[in-house]
Amino acid sequence: MAYSLIGKDFTPPDVRAKVTGKAKYAEDFRVEGMVFVKLLLSPMPNAKVRNIDAAEALKMKGVLGILLPEDVPSFPLPRDPILTMEPKYVGQPILAIAAEDETTASDALEKIKIDYEPLPFTVDPLQSLYPGGPDVYPDANVGVRGMPEMKKIKWTAKDFAEAGDTKLPMGEPLAEWKLGDLDKGFSEAQLVMDETFVTAAHSHHSMEPRSAMAYWQNGKCYFHVSTQSQSYPLPLYAEMIGVAPKDLVMISEFCGGGFGSKGSAYVVATIPAHMSKKINRPCMMRLTRAEEYFLGSRRTGIQGRIKIGFRKDGRITAADIYVVQQNGATEGFPDFRNVGGALSMVYQPMNMRWRGISVFTNLPLSTAQRGPGQNQLACMMEPLLDKAARELKLDRLAIRSINAPTTGSKVEERQTPVSSAYISEALMASAAKFGWNEKKKLSGQRKGSKVTGIGVGRAYHPAGSAGFDGLLVIKPDGKIHIHTGIGNLGTYSYAATSRVAAEVLGCNWENVVLERGRTDNHLPWNNGQFGSNTSFTMSRTNYVAAIDAKQKLQEIAAQTLGGKPQDYVVAEEKVTAKADANKSMTFAEAAKKAIELGGKYSGKEIAAELNDLTKRSVEALAGSGLIGVAKDTIPMKDHVPALAAAFMHIELDIETGKWEILDYVATADCGTVLHPKGLANQIRGGGVMGIGMAALERVVYDPQNGLPANVGFYQSKPPSYLDVPSEMQVGWVDKPDPQNPVGVKGVGEPLMGCAASALLSAISDALGGHYFNRTPVMPDMIVNAVAKRPQSYKVLAVNTQ
Amino acid sequence: MTTTDDMAIGRDPVTRRRFIKSIIASGAATSAAAYYLAGCSDGSAPAAGSVERLITLKVNGQDRRVDILPNETLAMTLRYKLGLTGTKLGCDRGECGACTVLINDVGHNSCSTLTHGVRGRAVTTVEGLEGPNGELHVVQQAMIDELGPQCGFCTPGQVMSAVGLLKANPKPTRAEARQAMAGNLCRCGAYDHYLNAVMRAAKSA
Amino acid sequence: MTKDMMPKFDLFQPADIETALKLLDKYGVKAWKMAGGQDSLDWFKDRAKRPEAVIDLSGIEALKGVRETEAGLEIGAMTTLAEIAANPIIKEKFGLLATAASRVASPQIRTVGTIGGNLSQDARCWYYRAGMDCYRAGGNTCYAGTPQGMNREHCLFGASRCVAVTPSDTAPVMVALEAEFVIRSSKGERILPADKYFIGPAVNITHMTVLEPGDILTTIRIPSKWAGAKFYFEKVADRNTWDFALVNVASAMKVKADGVIEDIRIVCGAVECVPRRLNAVEDIVKGSAKNDDTATLAASSAARGAAPLNFNHFKIPLMENLVKRAIRDS
Repeated sequence: MAYSLIGKDFTPPDVRAKVTGKAKYAEDFRVEGMVFVKLLLSPMPNAKVRNIDAAEALKMKGVLGILLPEDVPSFPLPRDPILTMEPKYVGQPILAIAAEDETTASDALEKIKIDYEPLPFTVDPLQSLYPGGPDVYPDANVGVRGMPEMKKIKWTAKDFAEAGDTKLPMGEPLAEWKLGDLDKGFSEAQLVMDETFVTAAHSHHSMEPRSAMAYWQNGKCYFHVSTQSQSYPLPLYAEMIGVAPKDLVMISEFCGGGFGSKGSAYVVATIPAHMSKKINRPCMMRLTRAEEYFLGSRRTGIQGRIKIGFRKDGRITAADIYVVQQNGATEGFPDFRNVGGALSMVYQPMNMRWRGISVFTNLPLSTAQRGPGQNQLACMMEPLLDKAARELKLDRLAIRSINAPTTGSKVEERQTPVSSAYISEALMASAAKFGWNEKKKLSGQRKGSKVTGIGVGRAYHPAGSAGFDGLLVIKPDGKIHIHTGIGNLGTYSYAATSRVAAEVLGCNWENVVLERGRTDNHLPWNNGQFGSNTSFTMSRTNYVAAIDAKQKLQEIAAQTLGGKPQDYVVAEEKVTAKADANKSMTFAEAAKKAIELGGKYSGKEIAAELNDLTKRSVEALAGSGLIGVAKDTIPMKDHVPALAAAFMHIELDIETGKWEILDYVATADCGTVLHPKGLANQIRGGGVMGIGMAALERVVYDPQNGLPANVGFYQSKPPSYLDVPSEMQVGWVDKPDPQNPVGVKGVGEPLMGCAASALLSAISDALGGHYFNRTPVMPDMIVNAVAKRPQSYKVLAVNTQ
Repeated sequence: MTTTDDMAIGRDPVTRRRFIKSIIASGAATSAAAYYLAGCSDGSAPAAGSVERLITLKVNGQDRRVDILPNETLAMTLRYKLGLTGTKLGCDRGECGACTVLINDVGHNSCSTLTHGVRGRAVTTVEGLEGPNGELHVVQQAMIDELGPQCGFCTPGQVMSAVGLLKANPKPTRAEARQAMAGNLCRCGAYDHYLNAVMRAAKSA
Repeated sequence: MTKDMMPKFDLFQPADIETALKLLDKYGVKAWKMAGGQDSLDWFKDRAKRPEAVIDLSGIEALKGVRETEAGLEIGAMTTLAEIAANPIIKEKFGLLATAASRVASPQIRTVGTIGGNLSQDARCWYYRAGMDCYRAGGNTCYAGTPQGMNREHCLFGASRCVAVTPSDTAPVMVALEAEFVIRSSKGERILPADKYFIGPAVNITHMTVLEPGDILTTIRIPSKWAGAKFYFEKVADRNTWDFALVNVASAMKVKADGVIEDIRIVCGAVECVPRRLNAVEDIVKGSAKNDDTATLAASSAARGAAPLNFNHFKIPLMENLVKRAIRDS
């Protein structure tokens, strides 16, 4: 279909502010009388605070107040507390101090004396599952956000003894599901592998720390925060701050990176709001980079085991996977479930069982990070497929193709059909661009100390959601104001999806004004900018809002100029009679008429099915123009996947364990392309993050004292310019998804997983098929493998070097 | 289509912008009540021979009289005393480059520079790149054309490193540009697009 | 951990060495000598070091610059790493020093980071940097050298209660080149060979160098002995920017026309608290042909005597490989 805006590049409206420094992030705001907040973090991994003595600190000149756990709302476990008297990890905030300046606040913190009662702790799930092992909570050691209860599960010593030191023990799971008949599947297999694997937790490393600033005025809380979205986290932030959603003005025009860590509301950001209420001064809380690591979130670390059977032709007859996730001390995220979902989706095993358990550990929040669960699985599975292909003497693309999903394939326990899947097309497109047939001949070739590795990787994430609201206003000056609460993470999809509304209404992009960034910009209820869903979900909501506006334009024209609504077409910012071009109203005229008519046309009447947040926004906008507003009720029965496939050509120096990426090609299956340049940026950026995940980044904790080792960038190692290729090739399948009116689906997350798994596949390939059973693969591991020395870590160790 | 430059101007009921702007315009010494300073003054006199607190800084071509503590970094001075928040603090440890400014045309991490160390030297921040009528610097325009930024937080630092590079080496190779930009982290991974922008700027300059 | 705000201090910016020395004498252990400040400010922000007076040496012009002398080269201790990496004389005569300087941290750090600071920087043991009360911090324990310690970056040699390593990329180069370090104090000047400048925990567990509170490292003298020799420098780190070496190697070699190695100095960093000169390797290769066999034989002795910790035994093959490369590929 020929579109005038969709699929075309454009300059997103916020990019100029980013290059001029005018873009304001949370820490860039200043308010008269603003003071500073600093946190006191727990030095203990599990403790009870017996006493806090802040008398000396509070006497200091310039110190304005203290915020204690008793001053803030508390939530039922396992929700993250704002402040706590029972810290569950090193770095958990216990109290906050406000002072006229940050140096004084820091000086004051040093004068506070806290008496702790230390408790046993663990940074390893298996330690807690072992009989008699330490539990994070007296009555519970397992649980996760979304599960009904926290409970205690201990495996038996026999479970551990039978598994030995090199295989994951598999005791009682927290949850499980299965498909078909595993025994039958394994009996049909030519090759059965039983692999234990570990994927390390690693931080989000958003460049903007979780700094926040807040103040109160006339009963409203003005809250400057770094968040991936505006609408979605508002109700939760309102609850955490203790204010009605209508009285919370959340300002987040720019978000300096989130990658999942700022997808929903996070508690630490609310501390300045509480402090401000208590001391009646605007409060700025700058979070330090070290604090980002001490209390910030990370991708869930996983200990897993898979038994997998392959037919002679490579088809997976059975897969039995067990996933233990280190949940951190609170909330967590269901990565362990997503591992099973992704296995079912990408590899379509004929018979399958997933079992999993989410174990509390004395560590900070584990939360979603780009491809939560799916990308861990990709890192484990793609090199494992290579290993199977080697054993079965199959082509590495053939073993991928034979197991690949297609449109209509079924996924997960419920066997939901897939609305569109072009992973094999993406793989073949990448292969052609990469020159697979030639490159694969280079595999294992050695020049001096350098060995060529050729890697293939693929990844997946669900790519859309439904049921949210779209909102736009055609103003009497003819401008179209599109309201969007999806957020501004840097993908520019907030703008790209708004262009769908402009496309439907046939208006010039120059006449569109985007209303966004602050909740007092009257935002509709939108999903959060996470989970690769924005493009799919928001193009639907903007579509339905535009259709609503279009209908209203036609009705107004019919009422004003005679005839029936369907006698009119909307194009070129006019509504015109099909039969008579002279019977026409401009958008400006129609907007004025809408105000005159009132009712649904100007937002005076509001549809009951809309979310309360949308209703409030429409109320506020009522009478300002022609309101297009609707809930997205477009049918969505089928599963919408985002998929990506990548190839990587590396040279691995087997004397140093260092690799250089000579070529990278990735292709996305993301439906209709909305914004080519933005997509290209995402494919490359995801690739960079994937390289970090595969071979550089991990969380390390000292098991002796629960202390994090990596609290700076140089220790945590997000990739720099010199760790990634300076040119990456990108492409897309560009086939529409039927469940989106313009064929769009999201794609952010698999773009990381395909690169991560391609690099691991390439490293493995260079080493003649050596499978590490662990992510990331660091230079020391490669050096040891080449020297045929044992690895330093125990097979199942987590949070370790 | 409006730009978010307009949106970026705070609409908070209480705003300090005008106040800060008036100080900037007048070139007067920033009030001792500026953030960051208020409670620090414990009354003890500085030791004999140590630095004078009231100094003149040359920032974006203007002389600015500012009261600077001995333990104050340039990033904090720019952000909290001169209202130049385009310079970002990503780590405060010289590890990410988000706070990069030019000092005598060379890129420095302003978080790891004591303000007293830049007396008499020309400091350029991202706010100092635009021309008198708001024309973008060639690097800024190239960053837009190549869609360099994603989240944008590291962008001012990337822009400043690129400007510094092109002053020292107007026609770099892509490999040279990659080396020169290597101190600027970008978690969104927009490196490739930033390099495209540097090369485009070098071509058009 | 919540720290990032430097405590109060008085800042002095002397313009000459004499003034700086007077200040150092006046403040004694309460003074802090600041070179480029790239590590100093982090220590202050961490509030782990709380000097009363910070003596900023960056205004002392006499401490800057690269000069050719009859004996070789003199480098002012306050010369930046960027200047060293770009200096044509250094590149021509002692290329490995330029290479090593160019591999330190990032362009911004090299712009202000100095050779003196790089050589004199403190240990990067993460427990020590986390503010733990370890031996090096004046306490009575070591957290890294324990059965559960996370010690991948720590030492293979010379442990003595403390297992930290030298983090410097330029220090092994200076030992390889037989540099001399000129140290000034109000009492006068003393000159030490590079390998005497660096000290291990058995000598002084809280210091990495011999510098006393009243001392300033003013100059590094590189003799012309090794000018134009065959050099090798390589740093292996996880990241290619802003990271510390897992192991680095610096070597200078003289090879006769017939391909026989006449003389060599070879030094590894990040394997001991001080740059580790590999005398055994030097003995093995001297008089042998510069070829793969010699390189392999020498490499096999490179890590002799290593006492690895739980997570750092990879440094043994890595060290061996780097030594092999230094001999084979220089």
